Amino acid sequence: MGLIQLKGRQERAVQPGIFPGGPAWLTTKLDFVVNWARRNSLWPMPFGTACCAIEMMAAAASKYDIARFGMERMSFSPRQADLLICAGRVTYKMAPVLRRIWDQMPQPKWAIAMGACASSGGVFDVYSMVQGIDTIIPVDVYVPGCPPRPEGLIYGILLVHEKIRGESLTRPELRAEDPERVGKANKLPEVIDQVALPFGNSTSQNRVSGLVSTAAVARPLDRKS
Amino acid sequence: MKTRTVEYVVGRNPELGMDGRPVQVPVFPVGVEPELQGERMLINIGPQHPATHGVLRLVLELDGETVVRCIPHIGYLHSSFEKLGEYRTWNQIVPLTDRMDYLAPLIYNCAYAMAVEKLMGIEVTERCKVVRVICMELDRIFSHLLWLGTTAMDIGATTVFLYAFQERERIYSLHESFTGARITTSATRIGGMLADLPEGWTDQLRHFLDTFPETLDEIETLLTNNQIWIGRTKDVGVISAEDAINMGLTGPNLRASGVPYDVRKDRPYYDYDTYDFDVPVGEHGDCYDRYLVRMEEMRQSVRILKQALDRLPDGPINVDDPRVILPPKADVMSDMESMIHHFKVVMEGIKAPPGESWFSVESSKGELGMYVVSDGGSKPVRWRVRGPSFINLSALPKMVEGHLLSDVIAINASLDIVLGEIDR
Amino acid sequence: MAERVEEARETPVEGEAVGVGEGAATGSGHPSVDALRERFGSAILHHEVQAGDEHVVFIVPERNVEILGWLKDEPTQAYDFLKDLTAVDYGGGRPLQVVYQLWSMAHRRELRVKAELPLDALEIDSVVGLWAAADWLEREVYDMFGIRFRGHPDLRRILMPDNYEEGHPLRKDFPLRGRFSRAEQTRRALAVSVEDVYIPQELEIVAIGSRQDGTDQSAGALPSTPERAGGSEA
Repeated sequence: MGLIQLKGRQERAVQPGIFPGGPAWLTTKLDFVVNWARRNSLWPMPFGTACCAIEMMAAAASKYDIARFGMERMSFSPRQADLLICAGRVTYKMAPVLRRIWDQMPQPKWAIAMGACASSGGVFDVYSMVQGIDTIIPVDVYVPGCPPRPEGLIYGILLVHEKIRGESLTRPELRAEDPERVGKANKLPEVIDQVALPFGNSTSQNRVSGLVSTAAVARPLDRKS
Repeated sequence: MKTRTVEYVVGRNPELGMDGRPVQVPVFPVGVEPELQGERMLINIGPQHPATHGVLRLVLELDGETVVRCIPHIGYLHSSFEKLGEYRTWNQIVPLTDRMDYLAPLIYNCAYAMAVEKLMGIEVTERCKVVRVICMELDRIFSHLLWLGTTAMDIGATTVFLYAFQERERIYSLHESFTGARITTSATRIGGMLADLPEGWTDQLRHFLDTFPETLDEIETLLTNNQIWIGRTKDVGVISAEDAINMGLTGPNLRASGVPYDVRKDRPYYDYDTYDFDVPVGEHGDCYDRYLVRMEEMRQSVRILKQALDRLPDGPINVDDPRVILPPKADVMSDMESMIHHFKVVMEGIKAPPGESWFSVESSKGELGMYVVSDGGSKPVRWRVRGPSFINLSALPKMVEGHLLSDVIAINASLDIVLGEIDR
Repeated sequence: MAERVEEARETPVEGEAVGVGEGAATGSGHPSVDALRERFGSAILHHEVQAGDEHVVFIVPERNVEILGWLKDEPTQAYDFLKDLTAVDYGGGRPLQVVYQLWSMAHRRELRVKAELPLDALEIDSVVGLWAAADWLEREVYDMFGIRFRGHPDLRRILMPDNYEEGHPLRKDFPLRGRFSRAEQTRRALAVSVEDVYIPQELEIVAIGSRQDGTDQSAGALPSTPERAGGSEA
C-alpha cells in the first residue's frame, strides 16, 4: 500500500523534502508522531552567559524541574542538541561563538531568547552588547524578564512545544537552512540598525553628569545616537 | 588483558591505601614512546563550556595531559557597567550592581550604596545597618551554595547541586518577599533600602537558619571525607601565601593559603567588630582548603545572621534626609511640596558633592571595592568596581601549571569566579 | 623647589587639600604620607583627604615605580597588597589619572596614590614587577583608556576583542553606543576567523608542536602499545 496521492499534484515539480505536495491523511498522522517525539524530549543547548543562566539552572533544579519535559539532559555539545536557550547577555565578542554553535546544531532546531538582554539588549544599550540575538540567529520564542522566573522559561518552552505541534514534514522550508548564511548575521544590516535604535527612556539616558542642568548634552557625539 | 602498573608521582602526595602503602594507579608509562615526548597540544576550553562557570575561555598548552601553560581570555560578557554608570544617576546604578555579581546581588547593592553614602557623608540608620548586614550575610550563604553546587557538579557529585539549589530556592523566596525579585534584587537606595522588611520575614529567616545547617551537614557527609573528593582536591592548585598576596587574591582563596585577611575584621564596617564570629583560615592553599574555608564561612554566616536578627532595632529604615530620600507616597499624592520634592529627586537625581570615595566590603568572592568619583552632579564621573574575581582569575595560570587537564576544571571551580564581575 | 602642578589640575575634586611644604609643622594624618614627603620630596606633588578618611597622594608619573617600590619594600610601609589599579578620565581635555589603591597587610593601612598623565603623553611605567596583580589590571586600563604601560610583558586588550578598532571605551570622548553603527559592529563581530581568535603566543604552540620532531603530528597519531592503561582521572 503506497502513499495516497492527491489528484492533480503529480504534474507539479518535485519539491525538496520528504513528502512533496500538500498534507494528506497519512502525512498528518506521521507529522503528529514526529512532532510528538520531537517536542517531548527537546535536549536544550544551554547557552548561558549571565544572570538568566542562574534562573535556567534553577529551572533545571528540583523545584521547577524541566526533567518533566524530558529536558534534564543538558546537551553541551551542539551536535546533540535541539533547543538553544540563549540565557543572558551576548556581547559582540561572543556573537561569533553563538552563531557557530547555532550553525553546528543539526536540524531540527529551535531557539529561545531568554531574558531581556537576549531579546533586545536589555538594559545594556552600549557599545559592546548585541541588541537582541535575533540579529545573529533566528529566534523562535522570546521570553521577557530580567531575569524571567523559571516559570517564565518553562512557559517559553511550552510555546516552543506549541510551535512544534504546528509543524509539518510537508513544509520543508521550516527546516531549511541556507549554507550561504553560515556564520553570517541573521538580519540585513539596515534592519539591524533599525531595530537597535534607542527607544523609550533610552533616548534620554545619554546625558553625562552635567553639573547643573538636566538638558545639556555634554558629549556631542552622543547627541545623534 | 595484562596491565602493567607504574607508580607515577604527579607532584602530589599519593594517597595511602588500606594497607598503609601508597595506592598505585595504572598509568600510561611515559618513557615507552620516545617520539611522543615534547609534543605540545593546544586545547581551547570555552567560552561555551559546561564547566567554565560563565563565558570564560582558557587556552591550554598541554604536554600529554599535563598543563604547561594556561592563557585565560575574558571579555565575552563585557557589558560596560562602568561606562553605563556614567550615564545613570546615583540611584539608577543600583539595578546595574545586581547584574554584575548575580550570585550575591545584595552584597553588591549594599557595597555600592555604602560607597556613595560615604562620599555624600550620609550615615544610615541603625536598623538599616543591621538589615544590610543581614542581606550581605544571607547572600554570602547564597553565593557559596551555588559555588558548592556547581563545583561539586564539575568534579562529578551531581546530588550536591540539587541539594544546594533546593536551599537556594528558600533564599530566593526570602529575596522575593523582601525585594520583589529573586535574583536582581536592587534592594538598596542611597540613604536606605527600597522598603522595610515585610511582616514575618524575620520568622522565615529564622526558620531557614534553623534548618539550613542540617543540609550543610548532609552535604558534608557526602563530600568532606569522601576519598574521591579528597583525591581530586587535595594538593591541587596550591598557591603560597606570598604569591597569593602578590597576585591580589582575596576572600576564601587568600584565606585558604593561610593569610588571615578579611575586610570584616581588618576594616570593619557596620559594626562587624561587635559581632561574634570567626574567620576560617586554611593552611595549604589547595582546592580542598578552599572548600573547607567556604563551608565553614557558611556556618559563620549563620552565626552572624542569628546575632543580627537578635539585635535588629526598630526605627526607620531610611535616613531622614530630604536630599536623598523620597517622601512617603501618601504625602506625594496629597501635598504639593512633597510632590515637587519627589519630582526633583526622581527627575534630576540626587546630587553628590565633588570628591571620591573607595569602599570595600567582604563579598563572597573576595574583597569588593567600589570607587566612585563625583564632580558635584547627579551622575558619577567614574564608577569603578574592583571585582574580586577579576584578580582571582589572573592567578589561575600560576595555579594550574604542572597539573592535569581535569585538575584545571577543579581549580577553576575552586576559585569561585563570576564572569559578570570579571568582565563588567 | 616644590613642583606645583595645581595649574594643570583643574579637576573639580574637592577634599581637604594639604599643600606641599606644609607637612613639617602639621602631620598629614597618615604616616606614609609624611614618610613619602621626607624621602621623595618634590616627587610628591599633592596630598588630600577624601571622604573623611581616605588619603590620596599625587606623585610624579616618571618616578612611579621608584616610589611605589619603596612603599612596597620599606618595612615601615610594607604596602604588599595592590588592591586596585585604575584610571579616571574627567573629560574636557584634563589629564587622566592613574590610581593605585594600596594596602599594607602588616600595618593594616590603606593609601591611594595617583599619577596624572596629560592626554598627549599617555604612558607610564608598569608596576608588574612589584605586584603581579597589576598584570591584568594594567591591561584593563590600557584597553579602556589607552594608557600604555612601559615594560608590561603582554600589553594587549583584555575585555574588548583584540582587533577592536573603535577606540578606548571609558574615555569621555567615546560615545556610549560606540563609534560604528550596530550593523557594522555585527559585521565585524561575525567576520572573525580562527587566526583572529588565537594570539601569536598560542599559535606558536601548534607550530612548535609540529616542529619538534620529524614525524607527522597530524590527527594525533596514537601509540598502539598493548600496555596502555587508563589515565589517572577520578
